[in-house]
Amino acid sequence: MFEPTAFDLSAIGTGVVNGLVLGSLYALASLGLALIFGVLDIINFAHGDILMISSYIVYLVALSTGNPWIALLSSLALFALFGAGVYRGIIHYVLGKEPLIQIAITVGLGLILQNLALALFRAEPRALPSTLFPYPLSIGPLTLSANRVFVALVSIILCILVHYYSTRTKLGLASRAVAENREAAWLMGINVPLIYMATFTIGVLLTTTAAFLWMQIGPVDPYLGTIFGLLCWIIVALGGLGGVAGIIASGFIIGVLDSLGSIFLTPSGKYIPMYIAFILTIWFKPRGLFGRR
Amino acid sequence: MLRSLRRRGLYLRLIGLIVLLAAMYIAFMTNKYYLLFITNLVFFAAIVLAWNIIGGYAGQLDLGTTGYMGVGAIVSSILSNNIGLHPLISIILGGLSSALLAGAIGFPMFRFGVREVWYALSTAAIVVILNNAVRLLIGPYEYYLRVRPIKTYDELYLATSIALVLVFLLNHAVNNSRLGYYLKAIREDELAAEAIGVDTRRYKLLALMIYAFIVGSLGYLYVVMIGYFYTYRFFDTGISVSIAILGIIGGLGSIEGCLVSAFLLRGVGEYLRTSLAHIIPGLHLLLYGAVLITLGVVEPEGIPGIARRFTTLLKTTKRPMGVVK
Repeated sequence: MFEPTAFDLSAIGTGVVNGLVLGSLYALASLGLALIFGVLDIINFAHGDILMISSYIVYLVALSTGNPWIALLSSLALFALFGAGVYRGIIHYVLGKEPLIQIAITVGLGLILQNLALALFRAEPRALPSTLFPYPLSIGPLTLSANRVFVALVSIILCILVHYYSTRTKLGLASRAVAENREAAWLMGINVPLIYMATFTIGVLLTTTAAFLWMQIGPVDPYLGTIFGLLCWIIVALGGLGGVAGIIASGFIIGVLDSLGSIFLTPSGKYIPMYIAFILTIWFKPRGLFGRR
Repeated sequence: MLRSLRRRGLYLRLIGLIVLLAAMYIAFMTNKYYLLFITNLVFFAAIVLAWNIIGGYAGQLDLGTTGYMGVGAIVSSILSNNIGLHPLISIILGGLSSALLAGAIGFPMFRFGVREVWYALSTAAIVVILNNAVRLLIGPYEYYLRVRPIKTYDELYLATSIALVLVFLLNHAVNNSRLGYYLKAIREDELAAEAIGVDTRRYKLLALMIYAFIVGSLGYLYVVMIGYFYTYRFFDTGISVSIAILGIIGGLGSIEGCLVSAFLLRGVGEYLRTSLAHIIPGLHLLLYGAVLITLGVVEPEGIPGIARRFTTLLKTTKRPMGVVK
């Protein structure tokens, strides 16, 4: 069952560090979901597929222009429109409805995105031919690609910025007030529909940024969304809705479990540890490991 | 329970279903390909009806269908293949083993009050765990069955039809029983049901185990249908989600709605998949997605809601002018 490969400490160390890199990206990808779930109370099963489709957009623009930064900016602009459009066209109608209806409608959206990608781009995985920082970086005994370090740093910085957004800015505070009590926020003069649309769009934009970073380290195929969707929900479950710190910590946990799982259990069994961790968390700590709500 | 079965024109519906199944057979029996196609439809109609017990009546969004089906399929295949038990006995043992698994998972799940999105996610997670665990246990291979109790497509269609009729009867039995009323109460408002003394945990668990038993015993039929082999790939979250979608579109707890959505939507979907997949892959899932979004926005009750709108429309147009109510 276990691969009889030679383990040494540096393999485990590299696994852990890679897991932390992956985990910071997972945390960034989950933040959008946590924002949308926390403020709009919408169960979004299309989250992973939004990430998948924006990865394709990043890939296509980067490939045709040859400049990844243009790809980032243009996909951010495109997905700001996409987020607002999806909110107004679909999500708006299921606000406050039963969870089952919300799940059904977002599963429908996810199916459409996934199969649109399948129809347009077929099932082959696609990766960018060149990355931003194509050279190795040695830190003590560990060797990492500079790309991964970049991805991890940007993810963490963005997570911290989101923390400042939600605790310091007017819009962030207003959205937290709406999350706390919608009617009271209305009465205090907060434009609730606007907050909803803005929060949904910000969530989608965070996801687009995560997609851009993902394209620097991995390939995209139409089924990427299924994997990411479940992963992001698991991270939100572990992190709870208490704040950004919980999401980052549970992102790290899941990233390390993912990375070590594929070393110790072979890639065919790598999902077992993290999914078991998820189910045990749901059973024993339903508010998440770090959650307050 | 039997007396309640006789109510509400059950015989009429049963005869209707049997006539439909027979008509489909007569229409397609000359073409082996279409015969297998409608066998597939009948099989998934039975699965959707089984899902209706936990998803429709009890309102628990279960995404673990292929997990229970796969466990039943693999257990019954190994029993009949390697140990040499009679297929019928191995089918029942396969169903029992997935019911046991469902009990073992469902007991803590309901004990700790996992519900709504978290229930759906954990059942999906269980399918992934089973997929990985079975891949580690039996390896990434396909294993063929030596024992072949069903030899022709006609026999397979007959067996699948019998399974559908049995699941249909069981659904009616649940619908009109005390269990069914409890489950519907849980679906509408779990707290209120608990407040008036319904043991919600026990009945949810019972519904889960009944559903797992049916789906698990249908697993062997699935093995036969796809060509007598079993593999870890049975554990597929995508198929589980599409079963739940058919059940939701069919309307929660509506037996006829589930049958209509399984036959109509899956029929059209499978036709699109088999005829156009080489040009536009995934077209049938695009169709599911479009139907789901439209229904979610326009008519969240699914097919029964549409039917009701249609009948009221007919009634109001017949009524003479100027008469209100």
